[in-house]
This record gives sequence, C-alpha cells and structure tokens, in this order.
Amino acid sequence: MDDNLILAVEGLKKSFGKFEALKDVNLTLHPGEVLGFIGPNGAGKSTTIRVILGLIKASGGSAKVFGQDAWHDSVAIHRDLAYVPGDVYLWPNLTGGQTIDLLLHMSGQQHTPVVDQLIDAFKLDTSKKNRTYSKGNRQKVALIAAFSTDVSLYIFDEPTSGLDPLNELIFQQRVKQLKDAGKSVLLSSHILSEVEKMCDTISIIREGKVIETGSLESMQHLTRNAVTVKTVKTMADLQQLAGVYQLQFKNDQQTAAEFSVDSDQIGTVMSTLAQKQILQIKTTPPTLEDLFLRYYHSDDTQKAGE
Amino acid sequence: MMQYTQTLSLLKANLKRDWLKILVWLLVLAGIFIAVAAKFEGIYGSRAQIQTIAQTLKSAAMTALFGPITHTSLNTAIIFAVEMAVFWAIFMVIFNYAIAVGASRGQEESGLTEMILGGHPVGRLAPISAVALELVIANGLFAIIAGIGMQLANMPGSDTTGNWLFAISLAAVGWMFGMISLVFSQLVADSHNVLIYGYSFFGLTYLVRMMTDVANPDYTWWSPFGWIEKTNIYVTNNWLPVWLFLGLGIVAFAVAVGLNVHRDIDAGIIQVRGGKRSSRFLRGPATLLFWNQKSISLFWIIGMAVLGASYGSVFNSIGKLVNDSPIIRQVLGQSGVRTLERNQILSFVGILGIIFTVLAAIGGAMVISHLYTEEQRGYLQLVNTTPHSRYYLLLTYVAYGVALAMIILFAALMTTMMVGNATLTQPLSIKYYNRTFVAMLPVLMLFISALVCLVGVWPKFRSIVWLLLGSAFIISYFGRLINLPKWAMKLSPFYWFDKVPIHELNLTPVMWLLLVSAVLLVIGFVGYGRRDLEN
Repeated sequence: MDDNLILAVEGLKKSFGKFEALKDVNLTLHPGEVLGFIGPNGAGKSTTIRVILGLIKASGGSAKVFGQDAWHDSVAIHRDLAYVPGDVYLWPNLTGGQTIDLLLHMSGQQHTPVVDQLIDAFKLDTSKKNRTYSKGNRQKVALIAAFSTDVSLYIFDEPTSGLDPLNELIFQQRVKQLKDAGKSVLLSSHILSEVEKMCDTISIIREGKVIETGSLESMQHLTRNAVTVKTVKTMADLQQLAGVYQLQFKNDQQTAAEFSVDSDQIGTVMSTLAQKQILQIKTTPPTLEDLFLRYYHSDDTQKAGE
Repeated sequence: MMQYTQTLSLLKANLKRDWLKILVWLLVLAGIFIAVAAKFEGIYGSRAQIQTIAQTLKSAAMTALFGPITHTSLNTAIIFAVEMAVFWAIFMVIFNYAIAVGASRGQEESGLTEMILGGHPVGRLAPISAVALELVIANGLFAIIAGIGMQLANMPGSDTTGNWLFAISLAAVGWMFGMISLVFSQLVADSHNVLIYGYSFFGLTYLVRMMTDVANPDYTWWSPFGWIEKTNIYVTNNWLPVWLFLGLGIVAFAVAVGLNVHRDIDAGIIQVRGGKRSSRFLRGPATLLFWNQKSISLFWIIGMAVLGASYGSVFNSIGKLVNDSPIIRQVLGQSGVRTLERNQILSFVGILGIIFTVLAAIGGAMVISHLYTEEQRGYLQLVNTTPHSRYYLLLTYVAYGVALAMIILFAALMTTMMVGNATLTQPLSIKYYNRTFVAMLPVLMLFISALVCLVGVWPKFRSIVWLLLGSAFIISYFGRLINLPKWAMKLSPFYWFDKVPIHELNLTPVMWLLLVSAVLLVIGFVGYGRRDLEN
C-alpha cells in the first residue's frame, strides 16, 4: 500500500447488532487533497467518520490514517488531526471562549492571534455559556478550535448545517487556505454546491456502500449533458446516433431540438451536428444533483434518466 | 383554561414513557413494604419480642434514625409503623424526585417541551400539570397497593383506618416533595441543579426532624418531613399530616405554576450569567472534570459535614442507658456503666459508617456515571478525538470519584467526632473513627468498581449499581430490625465489618473485597477500551 496516503479505507464494514450500517466503504485521501464525502442522510457518512476516528470499531475491512490503524493507534493519529462533528454538543457550564481554549490545549495548541482572528471572522460572542448557544454557534466554537489547530488532516462532518450563508462562505475560504497550505481535508456533506466548490475528489456513499469515487470531471462521463440546439438543416438522423436520448424536436422542420447525450459520445454527436450548420447551441454539464438523482434512484434508473 | 389545553394527552404520553420506571419503583417500594408487613408478626409477634425491640427503639440512637416512639403499650403493628414511617418516606421522596425532575426539567432539556409547546396547540401550563397528575397517579397506585397489602397482612394491632392512613400518608409525603421539586424545576435551567436543590431541601427537613426528635418531638412539626411521624398510626390515627402534605403540595404546585408563567422556555428564573472569554486553567480531561464537578463536590463535602455534625450533636443522648436503674448501675459498677455507654455510642458510629459510606458511594459513583452521561450527550466526541487515550479518560473519572467519595466519608466522620466529643464527658478517641473509615474503604471500592465495570462493559445497565447499593443499605441498616436471616445479612458487604469500630478490623474480608474490586476494575477498563463509544 502507498505509505503516503493520509487516509486509506478498504472494504470497511460496520454492523450494529443485525443492522449493517456500512457494507463496503472505500476511501482514499492523498496529501493536500480535499475529499468530498457525500450521500443522503443515513447513508453511513458519520458512521464511517466515527470508525476513522477510532470511536467505534470496524466489523470488517480496514481503516488506516497516516498508515496507522484507526482503532489501535487512535491516540497517535489524533495528535495530527482535527475534527468537527455534525452535531456539536458542548459542556453547558463553560463559556465559548473557555471551550475553545480547552480544545486547543487538549490538542497541544496555543491560543495565538489566529484564534482571535477566527473568533472575529465568525462573529462569536465567546463570553456566553455554551448552554445559551444555538446549534450554529456551537458549531462555530468547534470550527474555530479546528481551524486554529495546526495538523495534517481535518475532518468535517456536515460542518455548515447550522451556519448562515455568510459564515458558510468564511468556512469555504478557510478550507481553501488549508488546501493552499498543503493540508488534507475530509468533508462530509449533503450540500452539493459546497462539495462542488471545495473538493478535488468526491466519494459518493449510498446505503453503506461507496458507489463512486473520482474527480467531478471524471464522474461526468457517467451522466449525460443536456443539449439545446438550432441548425439550418434537418436533424432527423440524430435518432440513429448512439448515446442520444430523449430527443424532442421543437418544430416540424426538425431544425430545433432538445436531447441528452452520454458524455463519452459527445464528440460524435457534435461532428454530426456541425454538418447541419449550427445556429445556436447550449450544453449544460451535469450537476451533482444529476449524479445524485441517478445514483439514489438506481433501482429506478429509467425514471431518473428521463 | 386555554393554558391547560392537552394536559391529558401529555399525561398519556408521559405515562407511556415512564410506565416501566414507575412500575419498577412501585414493585420495589410497595412490594418490600408489604413483604415486611406480612412477615412482621413472625418477627415481633410475642410480648417478649415486642419488649426487646421497644427497648432498642426507645434509645436516642434509634430515635435519631427512625423517629421517636411515644406510645407506652405497644403491639406488632405499632412497631411496624414506627420502624417503617421515616425510612419508607425517604424512599418515597427519592421516587418522586426521580419521576418529577425527569418529566419536567429533564423533558425540557431534551428539547421535547419546546417542540410540544412551540409547534402544537398545547397550553403553556399543560406540561407541568401533566407531571403533577402523573405523580398523583404514581403515588395513588402506591397507596392502593400498599393499603390493600397491609389489609391482607393483617398485623396484630392493626386496623383498617391505620392501614389506609399509613399507605396514604406515605403517598402524600412523596407527592408533596414531588410538587416542591417542580418549584426548583422553574428556578434553574438544568435537571442536575434541580436535583441538588431538591435534595438540599430534603436534607434540611430531614436534619430538622432528626434533631427535634431527639431534643423534643413537639418541635418536629417544624419539619414538613417530620409530619409523617405525627400520623400516630394505629394509636390515634391522626389524619392532619395528610391534609398538611396535600395542602403544602398544592401550594408548591401553585408557586411552580406562577413561576412557570413568568419564565422563558429552556431558561430558569435564576438567569445564566456569562463568564470569562478565555481559560488558562482548562488544559485537559482532568482539569475539565474538576471544573465541571467543583460546585457539586463542594456541595457534597459541606452537606456530609453538616450531616455528620447533626448526628454528632445527639451523641450525649445516645450514650445514656435506656434501662438506667440504680440496680444495674450497682451491678456494673462505675467503669462497667461507662463501657456499656461507650459501646452504645460506638455501635451507633458503626451504623453511621454505613449511612455515610452509602452516601459517599453515591457521591463518587455519580462522578463516574457522568462519564457515560457525557458520552451519550456527545460532549466527549471532541475529547475522544484529541490525543488522550480512553484509559486515561476513564482513569481520570475513577480517580476523581474515589477521591471525592473518600473525602466526603472522612469529612462526615470527622465532624461527627468533633461535634460528638463536644457533647460527651468522655470523648471518643479518634482511633475508632479511623477504624470505621478504613473498614468502609473496601466497601466503597466494591461499589465504585462495580459501576466502573458496568460503564465499561454494559453502560445501559449501569443503574444496577444503585440497586446493589440500595439493597446492601436496606439489608444492613434495616435487616436487624426485621430479623433478617444471617445468610441474607451476609449478602451485604457491610456485614463483614459490623463489629467495627468496637473491635479491630478483620483483614480477611478486606482482602476479598479489594480483590473483587480489582477484578471488576480491570474488566471495566478493558471493556471501556474495547467498546464502541456512543454519541
């Protein structure tokens, strides 16, 4: 195995009693990479992260962080890792500021000016007791502590679910800074736009299985571009072309059409269209929503593809 | 009336959630109560048996523990009433606190109340009214079961009015304290503090009862808890205390409602203030635990010191021989009387050792139990992902819990000694207290290790330790009064040290208890290192 991998999860399984939460999870995270880990609620994102953190023990497969076993070497691994859980719960009797300092101390960090900058950026009133904070404010406490921590790996589990758009933007900027500094990030989310903006690689999990991994571009071959086109000559022969679906003509001359096309067939289709003298063309690349729809209705593919 | 809309549907939901808890409590509370009543004729049926126990009960030590015995012509039923009233009332208070705080502040903490009140056409006062009704039902069931049980037990000297008065007054005292805890639920915003307020109040009423009973029982009316003694069951069957319980309960509920209307949801009348923006002190799990536990630890230490001082203040009366006739004085001689009196106080110190140890074990165990509570509430997920091992985390909690338990046990014994010696003409040497302290340590360790084992391996069932502790307490504290067979007495770890402090400590049981504790600790630590952490 490649020793340089930050994270290597192979064939991971986890059962709670009879319930199989994770069936086959595979993840790899290279140094300096931002890995998006997406899937719907209950797909197993948090369970996977909890195995990686050594909080729960895998029932099968392996999870390695920095080349070390996530369960046995958890203490050593935690020296070089920062984590923000999806639901942040904090000791009710501490103030936000005390909590941040505590978390920093526990990870062997100092309260530097960077911490104060972060507190300012996220606009957190650190004199309030944790019990009076909203979900978003508790999340800010954990985020400030994590971003102030100088480690190699950052794990965020749906970190922005309680943040407003302004704070979400600050979060995205900070993740970008981490990436620029050569840090590795694992970011779980079901907010697709977030993952699209920040991640180099994406792994999609569904019902305890990672069903697809790759860069956003490499995944696009799996789906179809939507094409709207107007030509001078008729496009009647498009129907015979491979990789063209849902063809609809918008006029009787068959010179205006809408259809979808497999990404790997787009070259052939384009050259055919070129012969028809294109007047106007618009192609839309698939969004992650499209990917999602395709995978999460895979038992009902036809419907999703339409 | 709009404010009370949907009270009944909330009551139904509460009962659906709490029925098992209530059922277990009722089975234990009413079950043991009836079982003792049924067996009582066999224990104190004959004149001679009644005479013997009457001697014991009339001593100041027993008055302090169980309340005074005022009547001269005694029978089986009266002995039962005197022995059981104060003792069972304590359990009724604990029962009602557990249900009331869980259903009021506990529910609000979990966010359920907000959802019910905010998003549904439910009256603002419906949740608190539902709790009050739930307690009426729970205590009503106790009264019915205990009443029928006593009718069936049909102890010599009992009568129908007395039986029902006893059952209903126990239910009423429990309900009243439940209502009072609802007031505290309005004052502070977390159930932990509500319980601290509740038990402080209860402790105060208990201490007033104890001291007034020993000094002059007429003053016991000053303590609401003391009213339970004033029922005079099977003698005059006085119903006034029941009306007082119900009256004070209703007043407390009215106050709680009044406060509830004037506070925001999820907040207490006592506001949460802000605090410092930074901390140099908090550096890791150990300092964090200290920070979170410091108030309640101080509360334990002061409370136990006060308890010890209160018991010590009655030592003078306890030393007096009940059968203080000139003939006996002549037979025993000056030194003989002194030895007898001293031994009487020393055996009282032994009983105090049991009481203090049970309380100390509760104090220490609550710290360790908190480790699992924090795990469940998700606080620890941020600690567990820092470079601290699980063993270190558990060790921190165990060390703190054991230290706290030892300190509060020691504090209680020392204040007992100081105040006790101040009242005595012949002060007791410190060696007796040290002996009691050392003898109780292995017992303390046993219960704490049992909890560590449960938290490590089987955390959902950690409450078993309270059951073990309660059983051991009932067996050792109460077993002698109901003549439990010897094999049953041996089940309690306290049995092995019941000669202390009059005699020297027997080392064999110490070794055994420490060995068992060590095994339990190891299992607990290994289990904690291996199991999945929850959130």
